[in-house]
Amino acid sequence: MKRKFLVLFAVVLIVGLVFASGPEVVSGAPPIVLGVPNALRHTTGFGTWKAAELAADEINAKGGVLVGGVKRPIKIVTIETREDEPGIPLHEALMAHEKLILQQKPDAIAASGFRSEVILAAMDLYAKYKLVHMSTISMSPVIPKKFLEDPVKYKYTFKTNSDSIYSAKVVQGSLELIRKAYGFNKVYFILQDTLWARGLGDALKKGIEPLGWKVIAEDFYPVGAAEFSPSLTKAKEAGAQVIVPIFDMVEAVALPKQIRTMKVPAIMCGLIAPLSPSAAWKAFGEDIEYSVQNLWIGGLIPVKAIPESVKFWENLGKKFGEEARGKMCVDNGTTSGYVAVYALAAAITRAGTLDSDALVAAMEKTDLMSPMGRIRFGKDHAVIFGFENPKETAIGCAFQWVKGRQEPVFPELIAKEKILLPPWMK
Amino acid sequence: MESILIYGLINAVMLALITLGFSLSIGISGVANLAFGGFYIFGAYFAWLLLFYLGVPYPLAILLSVLVTGLLGALMYWLVLMRVRGLILSEVIATLATGIAILEFLRWKGLGLGYEFNLPCFVRGGINIGRVSLDYQRLAVIGVGLILLILLWFLTHYTKVGLAFRGIAQDEHTALSMGIRSDWTAMLSVAFGSALAAVAAITILPLSMINVNTGYDVLLIAMAVAVVGGLESFLGIIVASFILGYAQIITAHFFAPHWMMVMYLIAIMVILAVKPSGLFGKFKELEERV
Repeated sequence: MKRKFLVLFAVVLIVGLVFASGPEVVSGAPPIVLGVPNALRHTTGFGTWKAAELAADEINAKGGVLVGGVKRPIKIVTIETREDEPGIPLHEALMAHEKLILQQKPDAIAASGFRSEVILAAMDLYAKYKLVHMSTISMSPVIPKKFLEDPVKYKYTFKTNSDSIYSAKVVQGSLELIRKAYGFNKVYFILQDTLWARGLGDALKKGIEPLGWKVIAEDFYPVGAAEFSPSLTKAKEAGAQVIVPIFDMVEAVALPKQIRTMKVPAIMCGLIAPLSPSAAWKAFGEDIEYSVQNLWIGGLIPVKAIPESVKFWENLGKKFGEEARGKMCVDNGTTSGYVAVYALAAAITRAGTLDSDALVAAMEKTDLMSPMGRIRFGKDHAVIFGFENPKETAIGCAFQWVKGRQEPVFPELIAKEKILLPPWMK
Repeated sequence: MESILIYGLINAVMLALITLGFSLSIGISGVANLAFGGFYIFGAYFAWLLLFYLGVPYPLAILLSVLVTGLLGALMYWLVLMRVRGLILSEVIATLATGIAILEFLRWKGLGLGYEFNLPCFVRGGINIGRVSLDYQRLAVIGVGLILLILLWFLTHYTKVGLAFRGIAQDEHTALSMGIRSDWTAMLSVAFGSALAAVAAITILPLSMINVNTGYDVLLIAMAVAVVGGLESFLGIIVASFILGYAQIITAHFFAPHWMMVMYLIAIMVILAVKPSGLFGKFKELEERV
């Protein structure tokens, strides 16, 4: 009896081991692992992540990335850094980056960085691990500046989105359209109290004051604030004609609501990141109508002048559905995340290897067309942005919400309509 | 000047509305409920779920949300607080942990991604008061705040339940000997406090949106007002709300808005240094006199 039991046990054990070993490993090249450490629950981080996945899928559908004669698929791995939340210390976000590097062992980082403060610290981390690292959201101009201070040490960092100085020029362009159309010249800044927004505010102020604009005041709100009536009251009393909000935090959606209910006789022209996705209209309706949203990078509003943007818009909808696409940030992150993966894939093919130093040299030679225009890196490893011709540079743009539609208003080569004033201003 | 007076009043009533539920449990009944921020956001989120996922009419969604949040508070008392009752530090830690767990659970479920988490205003539109334009929702905040203040005062002074709340805070053993079931009363006070948190959230959050980070801010606000006014003093909450409410608006108007949150922390530090019981609190009155 005991012997029969032992035999039966041995048979069961052997059979179990055979089947528990899992399916046979299919022979094929190992994937190229691209990391996405980001604030994945924020619309901007979510957009950059999903766009990176879309790019990976499109490349994989064509067989993958050619590396030294072998085609290899791309695999995206992620980690939530929570750096968008107020109160999360810098070192916790950095720990998330390091955890991704040590545990998932990516070959490169495809779409990283929400807070500029985190990226500035992460540049040293990626220099230490010698890992090519694409910053797709952070906007502080200090990032390329830090690169230029030690281009050998920080050579692994590349930036596919614009910075706040360029972004200030986008807002400046929209403001100039308003000034030429309506003769306005009094502006009130309501800004988020973060590095990038302050930098943008400074750059914008320096840009518009010589053009005749008077900046009545600059108010800064910490991340998490949702009560803007003190500033709106001051703006109303001072006769502000334009309010420039610059926010990426979700709470800032209260601002256009408050402008409307307080009937502040001013047009909103800036950026509140959560109001830029197409689904924002469904959530807020007429509360956001007439607001002009300035996008630091183009690409997620389909414009005929950039056919790649139309294809990108359609493919995002096909892969993730209209609802998910509607949640992705239009102004920043989504297109740059998509571009980052394509730039990396092309560079890997050129380099013929995943060695980081060879990849850096290949990345510097990047030249491709994308939904946001032509992608080339400057000496500071940041994509070159302009306004004139998307066939020469990447471009930003602006749109106005009108009756549920995102009407492009700047630059002129893509503008369909002029900027309209809200009815309570007339 | 007009706008400072009017927005200061709105801000003051908002602070009072937020603090009422907190004060009912921790101040009036002596039961720590630092999960207050979690209940605040849960109440709003539950109303949103009922409204947008189940298509429940808004008034019914509000009522159900307030009831369910109250029940959740009672459940927290029964599962968590009852076991550490009387150990003040343990009560604080346990309820704070519960509040954080609620908020982070909601964050994990996606609350905070996207802007669709917003409650509609009770009535859209606004009126002009002098040169100040005011939306109806802000008027609703004033109305609901004043009604709740009156009801709460009435409850704690003229009803058996309210008197029982105050009894267990004054001396639990004596209250027991008078036939007041202290655990049941404490559970009721936590439930009421949680329900009031939901009322505050549903009234205030249509002005912005539902976001888990607000839950942490609300706890700080409630603590600041309660500490400044006096934990167990009803009058103290009202006075402290007005002091802090107007101080914030004046600070934002004449200095800068980013100092508004700092006001709470400064107020707590000053009061704890000068009069730890708060402006109208009495629990450390003897030590303060000596």
